[in-house]
Amino acid sequence: MAEVQQSGGDSGKKGAQKKMQIRVDFTPMVDMNMLLITFFMLCTTMIKSQTLTIALPTNEKVQNEENMSQASADDAVTIILDAKKVTDPKTGNLVVDSVNGNVVNEVYYYFGKPGGDAGMLGAGGVVLSENNNLQKSEFLTDEVNSVGEHSARGIRKIIQERNKDVLKEIKAIKKQLEEGKFGPLETKDQREEAMAKYNEAASKIRKNEDLKKPVIIIKCTPQASYRGLVDVLDEMQINSISKYQIDNMTDVDVVMLDDYRKHHN
Amino acid sequence: MGRVKIARKSTFIDMTAMSDVTVLLLTFFMLTSTFLQKEPATVITPASVSTEKVQETNVLQVLVSPQGKVWLTMNNDTSEQWSNANMRIALLDNVTSLYNEQHKNKPISFNQQQKQAFSKLGAFGVPLAQMGEFLSLADEPEGLTKMDNWLAGEDPNPNHKTGIPISAENNDVTLNEFQMWVKAARMAGNENLTQAMKDGIGVAIKADQNTSFEIVHMVMDNLQTIKQNKFTLLTALKAGGE
Repeated sequence: MAEVQQSGGDSGKKGAQKKMQIRVDFTPMVDMNMLLITFFMLCTTMIKSQTLTIALPTNEKVQNEENMSQASADDAVTIILDAKKVTDPKTGNLVVDSVNGNVVNEVYYYFGKPGGDAGMLGAGGVVLSENNNLQKSEFLTDEVNSVGEHSARGIRKIIQERNKDVLKEIKAIKKQLEEGKFGPLETKDQREEAMAKYNEAASKIRKNEDLKKPVIIIKCTPQASYRGLVDVLDEMQINSISKYQIDNMTDVDVVMLDDYRKHHN
Repeated sequence: MGRVKIARKSTFIDMTAMSDVTVLLLTFFMLTSTFLQKEPATVITPASVSTEKVQETNVLQVLVSPQGKVWLTMNNDTSEQWSNANMRIALLDNVTSLYNEQHKNKPISFNQQQKQAFSKLGAFGVPLAQMGEFLSLADEPEGLTKMDNWLAGEDPNPNHKTGIPISAENNDVTLNEFQMWVKAARMAGNENLTQAMKDGIGVAIKADQNTSFEIVHMVMDNLQTIKQNKFTLLTALKAGGE
């Protein structure tokens, strides 16, 4: 292929040109191309980042107290995120624990009001440890048994338990989707169409006021890492939670956390 | 006894076909590639199950370093009217007027060359009082390297600060510079960006997974104060999904 045949003029005659074969060696060309390919392969980003959309309330002070929507104590679940702290053997100070350079997060939760109906603080600001309803949990992935059934663990199990009405309905329409009730699933377009219908139905269920749904309040201590926050927001999405908000830690929350640590460490 | 003669074969391998293949591959990579943008700080975003893709156009990206420094990147529309070059200049003009309103005794201004230099920047973020000096570097020899070093906080001059000034204490009367930038971007004139910011997909926070909540919260709080209540968080896809 890389040869050029040159048929010399009249052969046999005196001073005839020899048949010349010109070969072009492409090896350096291939070398150079490979280098360029390597360069482009290393410099490109094939994977686009994903995004997580969140909406927060304004910072403006609400003028009218009546306009504030208060979560009823029944539905409220407060999740508190904190970084795990360990004592530094050199200095003796508490430092944020990390594994492979990643901050280790701890997750706590309580239902309803802090300290239950009796409250966390007694007369004169006395901490009532016996009322502390804070509990500790973990971020865990689903456990999959031999049949392939998923069972939630850790904080996800707690959220699912509180949101079981919604999840039951979602599970039902998911089954309908698989059975083809939202339209055939053969081609890509059909699948997309069915998914759009399914998502619409799912969002209707999530917003259904008749179903009992928890209101989740996410609070983070200043040391908690951003990854932990995204993990909690992920749990909201996995468990179809429609009402959740990110809030600031209150003094009572700090007291509860300290009190819990005092009794469990 | 006759010996078996082994014909001497040429070891020349024809590389033409190989060359063809490599050129094809090269073409593919050249056409599909989007280069990694140079950023003042390297961050590893946390993993999430969310599958929503990030917008490439009409987005204001807030890069947050684990130390709490903030930079912005403004990606505009593909149309000529709202192109990056035009909108960047409008952004700089807007932020200048917002800044001068609050700092009447120390107003800032930029000349045409500085504005041109700003329109070509990727991520930006130095205090506005030093912005003029920063942009003038573009015309110097090795200026771009100097600018990159300044942004990365590796400038030999200790007075050259990087990162947009932002503070936890904020209100909507006296804005800090970060809030000015976001406001200026919102009214830069690119209607698609303004709409995207209103919907929340136009503002993306990119922070490292080990950034403390204190810092992320400060950025969110600043956005909330100027009524930018909806925004997106950039995440990587979680391996294994749910």
